[in-house]
Amino acid sequence: MKTAKNDTKAPAKAPKAAAKPKVAFFDFASCEGCQLQITNFGELLLDVLGAVDVVEFREAISEKWDGDYDVVFIEGSIGDHHAEERLKKIRARAKVLIAYGACACTGGVNGMKNSFELDEIRASVYGKDYKLFDSTATKRVDQVVKVDYYINGCPIYIPELVEVLKCALRGLPYTVPDNPVCAECKLNENVCMYERGLACLGPWTKAGCNSWCVNNGNICYGCRGEVSNPAKNAGDVISKYNLKPELIKAKFDMYNKCKEGVK
Amino acid sequence: MTENIHIENSNWRLRKGQIIAAKQMTATEKWFDIKLEDGELDHEPGQFVQVELFGVGEAPISICSSPTKRGSFELTVRAAGRLTKHMQAMGKGDWLGIRGPFGKPFPVKLMTGNDLLFVAGGLGIAPLRSLINYVMDNRREFGKVDILLGCKTPTDMLFGDEIKEWQKRLDVNFSCTVDRTAPDWKGNVGLITSLIPGVTINPEKTFGVVVGPPIMYKFVIAELLKKNLPERQIILSLERHMKCGMGKCGHCQIDHPKNYYCCKDGPTFTYEEVKESKKL
Amino acid sequence: MNYHILMKGELDGFVKKLAKKMKVCAPVAKGHNNYAFEEVTSAAEISMDYIPTILPPKKYFMPPREKMLDFDISEGKPKDAANLKAEPLAVFAVHTCDLAGIQCLNMVFSEKPRDYNYLLRKESVFVIGLECNKYCDSNASCALVGNHYPNGGYDIFFTDIGDKWVIHVGTQKGEELVESMGLAKASSADMVALDKVREGKKHAFQNEIGVDPKKLPEIFAKGTESKVWQDVGNRCVSCGNCTNVCPTCYCFDMADTINLDLKTGSRNRTWDSCQFETFAAVAGGENFREERANRQRHRFYRKFKYPIDKFYRSFCTGCGRCTRTCMAKINLKDTLKALAAEHK
Repeated sequence: MKTAKNDTKAPAKAPKAAAKPKVAFFDFASCEGCQLQITNFGELLLDVLGAVDVVEFREAISEKWDGDYDVVFIEGSIGDHHAEERLKKIRARAKVLIAYGACACTGGVNGMKNSFELDEIRASVYGKDYKLFDSTATKRVDQVVKVDYYINGCPIYIPELVEVLKCALRGLPYTVPDNPVCAECKLNENVCMYERGLACLGPWTKAGCNSWCVNNGNICYGCRGEVSNPAKNAGDVISKYNLKPELIKAKFDMYNKCKEGVK
Repeated sequence: MTENIHIENSNWRLRKGQIIAAKQMTATEKWFDIKLEDGELDHEPGQFVQVELFGVGEAPISICSSPTKRGSFELTVRAAGRLTKHMQAMGKGDWLGIRGPFGKPFPVKLMTGNDLLFVAGGLGIAPLRSLINYVMDNRREFGKVDILLGCKTPTDMLFGDEIKEWQKRLDVNFSCTVDRTAPDWKGNVGLITSLIPGVTINPEKTFGVVVGPPIMYKFVIAELLKKNLPERQIILSLERHMKCGMGKCGHCQIDHPKNYYCCKDGPTFTYEEVKESKKL
Repeated sequence: MNYHILMKGELDGFVKKLAKKMKVCAPVAKGHNNYAFEEVTSAAEISMDYIPTILPPKKYFMPPREKMLDFDISEGKPKDAANLKAEPLAVFAVHTCDLAGIQCLNMVFSEKPRDYNYLLRKESVFVIGLECNKYCDSNASCALVGNHYPNGGYDIFFTDIGDKWVIHVGTQKGEELVESMGLAKASSADMVALDKVREGKKHAFQNEIGVDPKKLPEIFAKGTESKVWQDVGNRCVSCGNCTNVCPTCYCFDMADTINLDLKTGSRNRTWDSCQFETFAAVAGGENFREERANRQRHRFYRKFKYPIDKFYRSFCTGCGRCTRTCMAKINLKDTLKALAAEHK
């Protein structure tokens, strides 16, 4: 693998960079935790850098690029007019746009803003002069620009990012798994959270994360979004384990409030 | 019962084929002529192959050429899924992996000496062409031949040049219809079922071979039954997602009391065999 | 009549000796009355008294994800190769329901065109069965399908007769192992004790649904339009738990993975489930099993109808895993009872 292994300069300046696809990372309203995941790639990072030329990446590179991008990664949700304009400009320069992370793909926790009347929430955050601060309801990236690929999750699951990147580099579609997380969790032989007496969102949440959280002792928080055709009668699941439907709904709202769209 | 199992002979191994000719037929359909590096495909009319594009995936595709054509075989591919969309960009010189041929062919031997009525809807002409061209090349072995062809619009018609040849032949009756017309279209307009009443059938010695989208079968079969064609003389080629071709992966299993796997027990069936299916 | 014995106190020595010869996998407690087959090196790690594991031992014969082919497209013409080195492995304490499950899969994958990956793994697994002297729990229906007694499918087979296990040797490989371990022959008193255990099971295990299993094919033949399927379909979550945990579900998907060099990669087989929405969909958009009711019905027919016609045996082993794992209370015994009740 040709990488910048022995190169002390930023990877973007690696010698053979010219022929490789130009890739840039941008962040909007988010914790930048997904960028952090990428810097935590470990050895895989070297393989990825062998395949692409990273031209913008705020958490790792200070240089700016003024040409067009082959692939851009967008992190974060869109919460004001300025962000919306900036995103549209990036899209205009990008051949392929990948939304990554729950904030970008489904609105993520930022979507909870939409549970309130906008002026009410602005006032509570910015005080009586809230009108001086630009703020809109939370939007997913695809509510502003066309998205070519989605990498769901909070944070993203690195093996999935690599799969999507390979698809993007080869012009192939990537289909986000649309089966419940249980489908993968069972293969990992985890003891079902419901049997531990915990309400887990696995039965309604899109798989693709290899049940990462449950493997590590957590419940599924629904960060990858709801499957497109959830069970018609989830009450049966809930009643088997003596749980209240409101509890499940409230848990789901943490990551999925944007699902209801923007008024 | 220990035996030597040589993994290198795995049934998942692929034969390598090279595209020797390709032609865009319509906006979404492309035709390929493929030569295998290790010899003939050795298929029979109605069979299919698994086409592998390394790193993209695999998909089942009907063989659209007759086995009477030697040296290479042909596929017509509609851009519908991951693999078939990717194939649209491929052309002469490109390599692909091939497994097969798979599936039960059309019952050519049983058809010998009988009249044949071919009914093709849309892309159904592709698998049927493997049989039609076989019949053309062995024309003396068969009785009267009628070909009915239906497609959405005149520009969706596949194998246009070849169809013109069929139209010219004196030993074949050919009719064609389109769902929606176009300015320069002088032929029939309407569903393919509208062509059937006009065909004379001797139910005792006719095989009806019907290939088209699932929606078409119900109506065409009803018309053929009206003509007193026995159920076992109506031959269909069913569509399912045949992933392994070996009767194992489960994807192509038909909801039928007989537990048919479309890849092994089909894709060709008599209507008598599959009439109890939930969906054709 | 080749029976040996192993004293209970000697199990640890047996496991340790075996682990020196090959990798040993056995049921291990995971908490909350869940168990899983995992690699062990001593008896202390093993739960000899366990209810069926989360995944059945099929995972050793047909792993959830398995490489079937390597490929290389770096030079114009593609190259491919099938590679598999199956390491010798002993699966220890396999219940009779799971032995039956392995037998079912053996039939499927030995049928031509044969599956070389499966067959190669099968040859490398040493199977040690373990008899259940009582029900694991009320979800099992092994007596219905006759799997509460051993019906072959093992190299050696353990039955608990109190302070020791009687070990039946089923194969030459088993004979060699027992000899190398120096296990004593069973005495006539041991054989009497074994008979007594078997006799006791006649009363302990009874047809769990009160329906003659010989009638099931007919009940299923007439049950395609039953409202039972609507009922289970309305509850189903389509999570695939029931098929993933089933010892005889073997449906799979194939997909390509390419490495970051975009030149080399592999074709991989993964477990698939007929309960997933797109399982029977074709690229053109048609979905031949779109409704959950149809998919659930399909699952039951693939246990109780189709395999009986094709292989002359039930592909339900009675292990009860699908009922235990279902998120929506779909219960196999209740479903069969409801279907049979409609038939009357």
